[in-house]
Amino acid sequence: MGRQVCIASAGFSEHASKRSDVNMPELISEAIEDCLKKVPSVDIKDIDAFVNGNMPAFEGSSIPELWMTDWMGARNKPLLRVTTGGTTGGSVAISGYYTVTAGLPGIDTVLAIAFEQQSQGDTATGLASVAYGEISVLNSLGIPYDQLTALFSAGAAIGVASYQATNYMRKSKITEVDLARVVVQNRHNAAKTWWAHLKMPNLTIEEVLDTPYISYPLRYGMVCPASDGACAMLFTTEEKAKDMCDIPVYVNGVGSVATETFPLGYCGSGSGQLDPSEQLGAQKTSEVAFKQAGISFPRKEIDYAEVYSPFPNQELMWVEKLGLFEENTASLMYETGVTASKGELPINCSGGVNSTNAIGASAMERPAEAALQIMGKASNQVPKTVHTSLGHGWGGYVNLITMMVMADEPARKFK
Amino acid sequence: MSKLTRRKSMEYIKKDYVRTRTMPANWYLSSYNYKFNITHMQPLREKLKQKKIVGLQCSSCNRVFFPPRLVCGKCMVKPDRWVDVRETGQVASYTIAYIKDPETGGVQERPIVCAQLDGSDTSYPVQLNPNIAFKDTYVGMPIKVHWKDNPEGGLNDIEYYDIAEDDSKDLELRKD
Repeated sequence: MGRQVCIASAGFSEHASKRSDVNMPELISEAIEDCLKKVPSVDIKDIDAFVNGNMPAFEGSSIPELWMTDWMGARNKPLLRVTTGGTTGGSVAISGYYTVTAGLPGIDTVLAIAFEQQSQGDTATGLASVAYGEISVLNSLGIPYDQLTALFSAGAAIGVASYQATNYMRKSKITEVDLARVVVQNRHNAAKTWWAHLKMPNLTIEEVLDTPYISYPLRYGMVCPASDGACAMLFTTEEKAKDMCDIPVYVNGVGSVATETFPLGYCGSGSGQLDPSEQLGAQKTSEVAFKQAGISFPRKEIDYAEVYSPFPNQELMWVEKLGLFEENTASLMYETGVTASKGELPINCSGGVNSTNAIGASAMERPAEAALQIMGKASNQVPKTVHTSLGHGWGGYVNLITMMVMADEPARKFK
Repeated sequence: MSKLTRRKSMEYIKKDYVRTRTMPANWYLSSYNYKFNITHMQPLREKLKQKKIVGLQCSSCNRVFFPPRLVCGKCMVKPDRWVDVRETGQVASYTIAYIKDPETGGVQERPIVCAQLDGSDTSYPVQLNPNIAFKDTYVGMPIKVHWKDNPEGGLNDIEYYDIAEDDSKDLELRKD
């Protein structure tokens, strides 16, 4: 058993579709400044090691940490880079946790940084490196490339999500109005968060349903934006965290499990997961993380959840698969206001990925925001006291799910 | 441990350094040579020439893979048994893509489905008959293979999938 790890602080940069006023190092520096501002006793010299990561090749710069160390304050210090596609942020946060919990001599305080400046380049290069390996296999089976482009025109993340949406909608018998309701809640929440991207305080369901389809059943108004932004989290040991801040957030459980992706499985040979909304990986991840945290009834014990939902159907799907609600009841919870910021179990009060998506940073903004809600320092703070919260991430080539369970007290030890 | 002194920050204020230069750049990627094993697909290719479909079965979990794959991810076992797969199947999942025609500029609605053939346990993206209206597509819709006139031994021999009639004879056979 490793050391108990705490989150002392978390910070964000401002997110926008084009942060043309800053370059990538300045963007990171903004997030670090915001993170360290909340813990006045910590100097950049007190940080022993760094973990960073972004989506590979999205900005056209391959190994950014090599020329960004000075801006992070990581010169002559251990530095690790982690990239796992869409879950990069989640993996960076988990790596920060691992670095502290390992108990290496002299490494107590770790700063984890995830960032993305999508306006700088084309995401196609990064996505091609992920997708082309699969497509080539179908080429070897005798399907020519021109036919493939027609098949995959629903491509990339939205292609995967729209399959999940059709299956989920059929299973839980919901309509597009239910999807639009989720979007409206997220955009309203984003308007109260200073760093969020798409702030729409007066958005209505009709306005969302008025936009054209991108890929059935997802409309233009329902999908996430492409943002520039960065996020930083400060991990440290229990003793040091008590000195640094008033309410240290204990990291009680982490999990990351990969399952078969949809529609193309391993080596492009179809998918064994016939129902893409089944998400066995999410169920397994939550099982692993909740077991570590000693949580047996997540529906009762979790007070706040941040889930990774670029598309509204995913938000409904994840909250069920992570064990927060019964199967096929999530849309009802959004309708009755259980998930609103004043509700019983608030979800995505920062606006979620649906309102802010700087891909590399997105999965880390989830645990960061969930931790700030426990500390009481979140931008859109929920009125009730948050004791336990979770941050979740999804993405990657093989459907990788990451999750972090946090609380204001250490996990109960069962012997 | 706690210093509680004023932290020395970098004091980098963006207002003092307003100007940012944007340099356009093009990144031409080189060409790559991806390697894939195609040995395990040869029996399928031979069968496709005779308008027959076969899948690879894992000897551990008995799942049938069509298209075949070299390893069963669930059991980490090499599937090595060839079994027949039917020409009929069903829609496992679908979406509707909106494709812009480069010549006319009109937007074309087109269903993209993932088909699971009867006798196999995997689904893969396929094309439906272009004459089907998109509102007719649903999850679980029965479909049937439409062969090309002259099969050459490739997955492309299945030109597209037709809507199949759900006949009772077939259902009774499946019960056995």
